[in-house]
Amino acid sequence: MSNQSVVIKSNRHGLIVVLDEKTDWETLKKDVAEKFRSSAKFFGSVQMALCFQGRKLSFEEELELSDIISENCQIQIACIVDENEATETAMKQALERQKQGGDSDLMNLQDGRFYKGTLRSGQVLESETSIVILGDVNPGARVVSKGNVIVLGTLKGNVYVGASGNESAFVAALSMDPMQIRIGDVIARSSDSRPVRSLRKKKEEDTPKIAFVEEGNIYIEPITKEVLNDINL
Amino acid sequence: MSEVIVITSGKGGVGKTTSTANIGTGLAKLGKSVVMIDTDIGLRNLDVVMGLENRIVYNLVDVVEGNCRMKQALIKDKRYSNLFLLPSAQTRDKTAVNPEQMVKLIDELRPEFDYILLDCPAGIEQGFKNAIAAADRALIVTTPEVSAIRDADRIIGLLEANDIHRINLIVNRLRMDMVKRGDMMSIEDVIDILAIDLIGAVPDDEHIVIATNQGEPLAGDSSLAGTAYMNICKRILGEEVPLMNLETNGGFFAKIAKLFK
Repeated sequence: MSNQSVVIKSNRHGLIVVLDEKTDWETLKKDVAEKFRSSAKFFGSVQMALCFQGRKLSFEEELELSDIISENCQIQIACIVDENEATETAMKQALERQKQGGDSDLMNLQDGRFYKGTLRSGQVLESETSIVILGDVNPGARVVSKGNVIVLGTLKGNVYVGASGNESAFVAALSMDPMQIRIGDVIARSSDSRPVRSLRKKKEEDTPKIAFVEEGNIYIEPITKEVLNDINL
Repeated sequence: MSEVIVITSGKGGVGKTTSTANIGTGLAKLGKSVVMIDTDIGLRNLDVVMGLENRIVYNLVDVVEGNCRMKQALIKDKRYSNLFLLPSAQTRDKTAVNPEQMVKLIDELRPEFDYILLDCPAGIEQGFKNAIAAADRALIVTTPEVSAIRDADRIIGLLEANDIHRINLIVNRLRMDMVKRGDMMSIEDVIDILAIDLIGAVPDDEHIVIATNQGEPLAGDSSLAGTAYMNICKRILGEEVPLMNLETNGGFFAKIAKLFK
């Protein structure tokens, strides 16, 4: 964009619109409209807080600008935040706390994210946190997580949990037929009679199962209350 | 409005070229104007399967490099006047063309044809990238074997990563007698693994081997494979055609075989 009278910055919670002090009001309004129109696609229809910087605005002017913004893109303006250093530092601190915590395994085991879709041969899904996969993990695909992995589908590929060496991590799947499971530093592979199994294996074997480490060995058991009681998060 | 369809598989020898030849012929039989492009530079054989090898003067690389005009390189089929072939070069390799050039070449063909079929080489390297660059949709050919399915799975992942989301499956060389005995994966097993929509299943049929060797695609004739390919063509056009019951047909043939015993 040629005009620099309007700059959009963003932080975790919302947008900061930096306005040039010297540009006259009418031009500025046009610039704001143009800026948001051109980036409408980028923002999509998210809900955001809005903050104006760089120029003193009256209440009416703020309203006028927020109207212009909602006219030109799909952003839903949740609120207009005053420029306030105290809130910003508080936000920053909260963010940093979260980041630091995120490095510990404890947080990884308890935090999680979701992935929807089939992981196909050659695809690798890596996560700092635990992960729930809504789909299958096909042979040749690989999931790596510092936390736990739960597959709401068939697990036929490779999975590596507790990737920072945590042997209390686990893998669970609705249908458990993995190529390899690695938990911390313990590795288990499927039996060698695999091709026959994948051909002949039918529903009766498909109970949800969980894999965990006990005394240096990986065990795969049907998910029962007793087994779940032994899991430590 | 033309549609660009890439026929691919990852693994070699599962029937990409045969499928391309038969689908091209089938679509032409249904009255569509079709061009088939052999993108397997250095290992061309779509022309052989079509029985048009002796008519090749210019090829795809010649068009891309500007040695000839598009019209000069297009070979008209001997059976259908609305079916054309753009053969690949035999003396060059995959690096002779890049994806941008393929997009440009195909954009030149789009206004002229209803369907543009791309016969993709095996593998996932340059040749594959060239073939999928301009594709609107993809047909994955696989046989009911773990190795072919594994490669097909990888290919689907790559196609999705390249923003091709209309992906259909052709299960080729199905032997219902073996499926029945539990020695071969069934169509359902294959769909279960690959999780994409089936557009057709082609039985293992010796007519296909004969037809391929004679350079006479059999789409639309009375053979099992010919019917299966014709059904695929109709489904490409958006018609709802029920899956032919390969099993009863097999049974029927078995009965005839018994009569002759």
